[in-house]
Amino acid sequence: MNKPITGPVRRAAFALLCGVALTLAPVMPAWAQSDDLIVALSTFSEETMTPWGGSGQRKTYLDVVYEYLTYMDPETLETVPGLAESWEMSPDGTTWTFNLRRGVQFSGGYGEMTSEDVAYSIARLIREDSRAGPASPMRRAIASVETPDAYTVVVNLNFPDFELAQGYFGAGQQLGVVSKKHFDTLGEADAEPTPIGTGAYELGSITPGSEIVMTLRDDVADHWRVSPEFENIVFKVVPEESTRVAMLRTGEADIAPIGFDSIPTVRDAGLDIVSAQATWSPVVRFGGLIQTAENRYNPDNPWAIREVRQALNYAVDKQTIIDELFQGEGTVASADTPVPAWLDVEPYPYDPDRARELLAETGYPDGFDITIRTFTTAPGAELPLMAEAVALYWQDIGVNASIEPVDWPSLRTEWTEGRANNYVWTHRGFPFASAANGLEAGFMAASLFASFTSPELEAMIQSFSDEGDLDARSQKFTEIGQYLRDEAAAVFIALANEPYGVSTKVDQWKITTAYVWNFDQVSRAD
Amino acid sequence: MLKIIATRVIEAFIALLLMSIVIFLLSRLTGDPIALLLGDGATDADKIAMAQELGLDRPLPVQYLNFLGNALTGDFGQSVTAGKQPALDLVLSRLPASLSLAGVALIFTLIIGIVFGVLASVTRNSPIDVAARLIALVGQSVPSFWLGIVLMYIFAVQLRLLPTSGYGRPEHYILPAATLGLFTLAAITRLVRSSMLEALGSEYIKLARVKGLSESIVIWKHALANSLIPVITFMGTFFAVMITGAVIVETVFSWPGIGRLAYESILSRDFPVVQTVVLVITSLFIIANLLVDILYIVVDPRMRSRG
Repeated sequence: MNKPITGPVRRAAFALLCGVALTLAPVMPAWAQSDDLIVALSTFSEETMTPWGGSGQRKTYLDVVYEYLTYMDPETLETVPGLAESWEMSPDGTTWTFNLRRGVQFSGGYGEMTSEDVAYSIARLIREDSRAGPASPMRRAIASVETPDAYTVVVNLNFPDFELAQGYFGAGQQLGVVSKKHFDTLGEADAEPTPIGTGAYELGSITPGSEIVMTLRDDVADHWRVSPEFENIVFKVVPEESTRVAMLRTGEADIAPIGFDSIPTVRDAGLDIVSAQATWSPVVRFGGLIQTAENRYNPDNPWAIREVRQALNYAVDKQTIIDELFQGEGTVASADTPVPAWLDVEPYPYDPDRARELLAETGYPDGFDITIRTFTTAPGAELPLMAEAVALYWQDIGVNASIEPVDWPSLRTEWTEGRANNYVWTHRGFPFASAANGLEAGFMAASLFASFTSPELEAMIQSFSDEGDLDARSQKFTEIGQYLRDEAAAVFIALANEPYGVSTKVDQWKITTAYVWNFDQVSRAD
Repeated sequence: MLKIIATRVIEAFIALLLMSIVIFLLSRLTGDPIALLLGDGATDADKIAMAQELGLDRPLPVQYLNFLGNALTGDFGQSVTAGKQPALDLVLSRLPASLSLAGVALIFTLIIGIVFGVLASVTRNSPIDVAARLIALVGQSVPSFWLGIVLMYIFAVQLRLLPTSGYGRPEHYILPAATLGLFTLAAITRLVRSSMLEALGSEYIKLARVKGLSESIVIWKHALANSLIPVITFMGTFFAVMITGAVIVETVFSWPGIGRLAYESILSRDFPVVQTVVLVITSLFIIANLLVDILYIVVDPRMRSRG
C-alpha cells in the first residue's frame, strides 16, 4: 500500500522541477539581432576551401573569396570582364589569350595577381586528383598554358572551344583564381584550408559542419568589382528546409533557399521571395536509350520507339504540375536543360487523346508497365511528388507506372555502370557550362552521363562543335534542341525557378540564371 | 573487478573487429563514391583512373585487410570528399558536439525521469501518476523529427524564447536536448515508476517505516537507491540511443555532430568516414557499457561478491 506524498518530498520534487523550468526560461534573443548577413544553406557540400576541392555547390560561400576571369552581366546576360580585362580567340577556336587586370591584390598580403597565379589555378583545377565537377572535360580540352608576361595568359586547346571565356573560365564554373605564392609558401596541406583570393572577403572563422564566417578584407578600401555592405557574411548549414523557413521568420537568417511549398508561408510572414529564374529543369529520363552503345541500349523497352516517348510527353499536363507542385514558379519545358537558345522550341502540349493514338499506332493500345525511380535532392525535393503526378497522367492513357524511391547515389552509380536500364527516372537538368561540352556530356556515348544518343544526334553535335562561325553555330545548336524535342529524348516537364526567402534586413539582391552566388553584392535595408 | 574489465576489453576488440567487417561490406552494397565524384562528361577512362586513385579497383578482401592494417596503427584513411582530411580527425572534430548534446540530454532526462518516476509511484493512480504515464506514452510514441519541428515552432517561432537551431551557446542545447531526451525520459520514468512500486511494497521498506524513519528518507534514500539499479543497467543503452538517435535531431537543429556526419558520409559514399564513424560509435557504446558494469558493481554489493 502506498502512502500519500509528504511535504518534504513534495518540496524536493518541486525544487527540482523549478530548476529545470528555470533553465528553460526566456533568455535574451541575441541570436536574432546580428548585424551580419546570415545565409542559411542546405549544404556546405565537401566543406573544402579550394576551387578544386569539390563540387560547384561550394561556390555559395567560396565565390565571395575567389574571383573569375569573366562574369555575366545580370541585366544583359552578356559576358563581361572579370580578372581578365579582355580576351581573344584564335579563328579556329583552339587558342585563347587572356589579358589580366592589373593591380588586383590577393588577401593575406600575398601580393598582386599575375598570370602565374592564373596558370597555377588552371593546372591545379585540372590535375588528376581534382574533385572539381568540370575537371575531366577541361583536362581533355586544355593542352598547355603559357604566361608570356605577368599579365597575359595563353591557353592552347586540344580541340576548339568557342565558348571557353564564358564557359569553363567564367564565373558560373569553378576556375576561381588562387594565389600561387600562398601554396608555394605554406605547401598544399596547410594552404588548402585557408582560402586566399582576390575577392572582397576572406575566411574569418569556420565551425566544421555548422558555420563559415567570411569577413570583409580590411586591406581593400575600394574593391575593383563589388562594394559590400556587410562586415561579415555568415554561412550556416541548415539541411532541414522547415528549419530554414523558421530561421527566416525569426530573423536568424537573411537569405535561405526554400521549397516551393514554403513560398506562401514566407510571404505571409512579410518576407520577400527572390527567385533565380529557370535554374534547373525537372525531367523524366529514359533508361537504355544510348543507341550508339550496344551495352547501354535496350530496343525491347517500349520507350525505345520514338512515338511511345512522344505519347508519354503528350500525356502529362505539365502546366498543372508547375502550378500545383512548383507554385507557378516555372514554365513548360521543351528541353531537359534551361538553355536560352532552345526557348523557342515548342513544348509538347497536353493532349492525352494524341497520346492514346500514338500508343495504338505503335502496338501498345492497352499501354504497358513501367517503373519510375525517384529521389529527393536540393533543388528537387518535389521530384517524388512529380513522379506520382506523372504516374497518374500515364495511367490515364493505360501506362501502368510503379514508383520506386531510391537514393541519388545508387541511381547515379547505376546510370554510370554501362548497362541498359529498363526503367525511367526523375532527374534535374542544369545549365551547360558551355554548349558543346553540355551536349557532349548529355548526348554523346563517350560520356558516362549520357541519357540519350543516336547516330544522327552525335553527327549533329560533332558538326556543331567543329563550327567556327557564330551564326552557323547558333543555328546548329537550335536544330539540336528541336531534334531532342522531336525525338522526345526525355519527358520534359518544366524550366523551374529556385526560390530564396529574403529577410527585411536585405534591400536588394539580384540573382541570375547562371550566377546566383553573389552574396557580396547584397545591399542592406535601412 | 579487474577480471571483469579484462573480459570486457577482450569482448570489445572482438565486437569492433566484427563490426568493422559488417560496416565494410554494408557500406559497399549500394555502390561507391566514384559516380558521385565524377563530373558531368566523365568517361570510362576517368572512372577507371578514379577507382585506381581511391584504391577501389582492388579486390574487396585486399581493400579490407588494408583498411584493418592501417586502422590498427590509428590510420582510418582519408575522406574521399572532404579534401582528403584524415577520417579520424574529421570524426573527432564532430564528436564533442555529439557527446555534449547527448550528455546534456541524458542529465536532463535522468533528473526529470527519476523525479517523475518517483512522484508517479508514490501517488499511484493520482493525476500526477496519470500525467507521468501520459508523458511516457507520448515520449515513446512521437517521432523525434515531428517533435523537434513542433518544439521549434512553439518556442522559437511563436514565443521567440529560444533559437531555432545552431551550435555553440548554452541556449542552443535546450530544444535539441529536449527532443533527443524525450524518448529516453519516457523510458526512465516508466522504469523508475515500476521499480519504485516494487520497492515500496517490499519488506525492508516496511521495516524502515516501522522503525519510524521519515517518509522522505524512506522514499529518496532506501526505496530509490534500490530502484535505480535497473536505470543504471540501461544507461549505456540510453547513451547509445542518444548518440545514434541524434542523426535526425542533428539534422533538424543543424547540430554539427557525428550523426549528421554519418548521414552525409553515407549519402556521399565516403567509405573511410562511414567506417570510422561506425567504429567510433561502437567504441563509445562499448565504453559506456563498460562504465555501467563498473558502476553496477559499485552500486550493488551483491555484484562485488560475485565478481
